[in-house]
Amino acid sequence: MNGGVPEASIRLASLRKTFTLQHRHAGSLKAAMLSIFRPPRLERREVLRGIDLEILPGETVAIVGRNGSGKSTLLSLVARVYKPTSGEVTVNGTVAPLLELGAGFHPDLTGVENVELYGAILGLSRRQIQAQFDSIVRFAFDRPDLAEKIDTPLRNYSDGMKMRLGFSIAVHTYPAILLVDEVLAVGDEAFQHKCLEKIEEFQERGKTILFVSHDMMMVRRVAHRVVWLQDGLVLRDGPTVQVVDAYMAEPGPASAADANVG
Amino acid sequence: MRQLTAELAEVWRFRALFLQLVRRDLKVRYKNSKLGFVWSIAPPLMQVACITFAFKNATTFAAKFDSYSAYVLAAMIPWTYFQTAVLDSSQSILMMYGVIRKVYMPREIIPLATSVSNFIHFAMSWLVFFAYLVFYLRAPLLPTLVWFPVLVVAQFFLVTAASLVVSCLNVFYEDVKYIVTVLFNLGLFVLPIMYLPEQVLHSPTMRHLWGGWAARIYMWNPLAVLISGYRKCMLEPPHPSVLGGNAASPFDPGSVLGILGVSFVALVLSYAFFNARKWRFVERP
Repeated sequence: MNGGVPEASIRLASLRKTFTLQHRHAGSLKAAMLSIFRPPRLERREVLRGIDLEILPGETVAIVGRNGSGKSTLLSLVARVYKPTSGEVTVNGTVAPLLELGAGFHPDLTGVENVELYGAILGLSRRQIQAQFDSIVRFAFDRPDLAEKIDTPLRNYSDGMKMRLGFSIAVHTYPAILLVDEVLAVGDEAFQHKCLEKIEEFQERGKTILFVSHDMMMVRRVAHRVVWLQDGLVLRDGPTVQVVDAYMAEPGPASAADANVG
Repeated sequence: MRQLTAELAEVWRFRALFLQLVRRDLKVRYKNSKLGFVWSIAPPLMQVACITFAFKNATTFAAKFDSYSAYVLAAMIPWTYFQTAVLDSSQSILMMYGVIRKVYMPREIIPLATSVSNFIHFAMSWLVFFAYLVFYLRAPLLPTLVWFPVLVVAQFFLVTAASLVVSCLNVFYEDVKYIVTVLFNLGLFVLPIMYLPEQVLHSPTMRHLWGGWAARIYMWNPLAVLISGYRKCMLEPPHPSVLGGNAASPFDPGSVLGILGVSFVALVLSYAFFNARKWRFVERP
């Protein structure tokens, strides 16, 4: 806090991100050796072209925009998974992304061991995990016959069980800032409902939430504020209703096609 | 240098996750079988038994050792550590790819954890070796054994250096793992595992090849130096008849300190190599 103005939870200052496209996964060392005399043409793609954004504590902000507008790149920069090309990302407080549920699980380890591992990935100490353990299992498996499975290897779990366990761990990290990237599009209706409830609980606790979604119903329901990205720039930034209405009214593939995806 | 210490401080901040990754590697490794560690040490032991069988029957030099198998085992344990750690680490980052695309962590902790978990296995393997040495062969413990920890540390540096480079390259190039596997297959024969490096140095062809430089270059191989160092500090020298009447060269502390320095420099350079590339692992528009 300085001078009565609340300190931003997330601040992006003239943030730019340029990708250099070159040999990727598909590349082979053999090909790279052979092309030493004929360097591959590098293609540069500017995905974010100068973003200024300030998000206050307790705000829930949705980022919308058509595919390729830079939504996920923005989220990755806030999560510190990418390094900015120029500009600055300032984050106050712990950040936890909701993972594609179950990434980081190991099939040969038991549920208990996976909870420990996954909790550590999300930045919890062992003591914190042990303190939360019962609560994590209770939230994930409300039936005692399912809860018993926590001592068996994860490969005996159904996909639904893995997803519930992953979500349960993620929400029990109670970060100051929660990043959500389309995760809620997966899962059945009951599970989505449970996710929404948890998001509302986060809002009541005054946590900051930054999420990316194509699902305008979802955006209207939870977001306080919407940032519309286009071609790597903020096109509009304002209260949910206004920005979503404008976004939906946009002709072409921008709204109609994308809105149906979610 | 200041940047390097900043990177290391960041690794230290993530030590809880690092320890969990080591625990995961060890649990997965020993869980896949009921016998755990015993089953894990079986392949190199069987390899040593087969090599002993083949060489004692098909060559004349192997039978002249007091215990040829101890010589092979003393080389096979460090060689297995090098191989499995580097191969495991080549896959390590890709296995965590879904995670590092979403969650921040200093990425070097992933190959580092693989290197450390393999190191723990390596340390336990030496217990088997010493049990064999003391209780079965009833060999004396030599005073040069005080150099053994130095060799172990040097090898840890070297293995970690190789793990960092290979794990990083494997993210960008899909054929790295296959190239490494082929090199390892060759290493079993090129490295002085089934024989002594002195046999190469004294061999009639190698001795005069390139004016003697070929033999010298052979001994620049850090793995050959390590293997030779382990044997000389733990085992009594073989009978001169093994080397056609030449006495084996004695244990050389200078070469051990040399390999420690070389491995450390390799580790620092590999870490810089890794850090220069680690941000590009997951970046794509």
